[in-house]
Amino acid sequence: MRTLTIAALAGLAALAAQSAAAKDFVIGLSWNAMDNQLPVKWQEYMQSEGKTQGEAAGVNFKWVINVADANPSRQASNIEDLINQNVNLIIARAEDASAVAASIRAAKAANIPFITFDRQSKTTKPTVHVGGDSYDQAKTTAEAFVALLKEKGVQGKCIELQGSLTDINAVNRSKAWHEVTDKSGVVQTLESVPTEWNPDLFRSGTVNAFRAHPDANCMFLASDFALPAVQSALESVGKWAKRGDSNHVWIASQDVFPEAVKAMQDGYVDDGTSYDAYAHAKEAIRQAVLIAKGEKPDCPDGNCLVKGRLVTQENVNTIQNLWSRPDK
Amino acid sequence: MTAIAQGTLGHWFTRNGFLLIVIALFLFFSIVTQHFASVANVLAMAHTMAPLVIIASGLALVVFTGKLDISVGSIAFLSSAIAVLLMHDAGVNAPLAFLAALVTGALLGALNGFVVVFLGINPLIATLGSMIALRGVALQLTNAILIALPESVRGLGNATIGGVFVDVIIAAVILIVVHVLHRRTVFGRRLDAIGNGEDNAIRIGIPVPQTVFLSFVASGFLASVGGLIGLLQVGAISSYLGKGMEFTAVAAIVVGGVSLFGGRGTILPGVLLGAFAFTMIANGLNQMSADPYAYKLVTGGLIFIAMYVDALRTRRLRRIPIRPPAQAAS
Repeated sequence: MRTLTIAALAGLAALAAQSAAAKDFVIGLSWNAMDNQLPVKWQEYMQSEGKTQGEAAGVNFKWVINVADANPSRQASNIEDLINQNVNLIIARAEDASAVAASIRAAKAANIPFITFDRQSKTTKPTVHVGGDSYDQAKTTAEAFVALLKEKGVQGKCIELQGSLTDINAVNRSKAWHEVTDKSGVVQTLESVPTEWNPDLFRSGTVNAFRAHPDANCMFLASDFALPAVQSALESVGKWAKRGDSNHVWIASQDVFPEAVKAMQDGYVDDGTSYDAYAHAKEAIRQAVLIAKGEKPDCPDGNCLVKGRLVTQENVNTIQNLWSRPDK
Repeated sequence: MTAIAQGTLGHWFTRNGFLLIVIALFLFFSIVTQHFASVANVLAMAHTMAPLVIIASGLALVVFTGKLDISVGSIAFLSSAIAVLLMHDAGVNAPLAFLAALVTGALLGALNGFVVVFLGINPLIATLGSMIALRGVALQLTNAILIALPESVRGLGNATIGGVFVDVIIAAVILIVVHVLHRRTVFGRRLDAIGNGEDNAIRIGIPVPQTVFLSFVASGFLASVGGLIGLLQVGAISSYLGKGMEFTAVAAIVVGGVSLFGGRGTILPGVLLGAFAFTMIANGLNQMSADPYAYKLVTGGLIFIAMYVDALRTRRLRRIPIRPPAQAAS
């Protein structure tokens, strides 16, 4: 009888230990493309945060990752694959803000929670959205840019390099830029050039625009990940010059990638608003932990939007925790 | 439908219509925009189209044989990626890294040629496979991120001699060499002969497998040259390098009057005009601040017209019903 009791107690203890161990939770991560440092950093930070936050919460995050090479149809099929693998949560950065709606609905039908990451769906609400506040990002940059040109007594005639028009962040940035500058009386946008996020179009679009508008003296970049292409274009038209030089083109940019940090330190780019890869990833994992524990995500109206910070030539070396600065 | 008789307006149009369209478009953009016809802008267009004309001229050598190589964009990407990684990660000096890229391009072209000629796989399918696989390898090697060129070589893309971009001069030399190769050498005549009928070419003793193989090697080599020039222009490698270039190059070739059925067309002025047309449309619409989607519509329309004219010509020459290009390419 005594032996039987001991065996039963041992069995119960083993069961209790098993339930106390971290439970596996599989996240299906769908990238639209891995075409610059941001997705690479996001993924790196998500996985490291998954480990840190997961351990603290008793969740063992496992990852299934796929990439759609900027093809919305392939992304839909990649997400379908994740649903068929019965992952516990899908996190997707959409290639197309409209097309992702069908994937969100399919995941909902399969009872799989869905986090849209970085790029919101235009039409369908996911479980929660986590990303940067791209409208606020461009607004912050544009307001600072208008103030800067006003202070320097410059009448800005700008070329706008837009992103992909199927990317809601690109649309938001363009909208905010125009809302601030069109009525500013200081900055006028002479031409908006769509780049489809293709660095080659950043280059040729800039050259074409400056040929069409030789009096242009400023630019707004929807992202500075392709700054080397813009630099090459400006060099070819003799307008890559530091602030203070008569040929200087005033540049307001978005994201503040490593290339932009250096260009800002060297005096070529004037201001930009950061896109905080670490904060985005951390927030996404915080929401994933809540979902894994069976709790409700806690973003206001289902949107967790992380604001960027204004980076200028004056503060680029001192602003704290700038992921793209070499010392980070 | 009857074939178009020689000496008629229709016949003249099928021979020279495209040149007229290019001239008309040039005049149109010159009138509606202020700076389109400036010397600086024409030089900028030549600069932009340099990678395209080089890649298209190499691809044309394959198309003359009635075959197709749709992996040129991926070869451009992979060979350029190798050059960048050699410089960036291994500290190899630029000339050696560029040489490695050119050798890579030729080898990848040889691989395509081997698969098509010696394994007998349909060129469209074979190069579709290499297009996907080679891009995958390049994405993996570069981690799909944008890598800026070292400062020591970054300025080469904008280097000029007497106000003309160096890459424009390189493109012009390559165009002339490829044109001479096509029109003035035994190799060039063999390409056309194979395109006009492979069975007949074999019967008259043309070494068809070797000639087709060499055309793929040349195509791969020139794809890597075009890739390097594109890389130097942008100043960084990104996953967009060469993306869609295969289709733009095919379009430039077809619009320039090279038949996808093989055996007909010219490098000069054909391929040059075709590439210029696409670059001019992008530049002109850009200067007009046209709707971004207008470019796709206009270029699509241009390709359609060119294909139709090509089909008309082929019917006139061969007096046979039009065959779908996919069959002709096999």
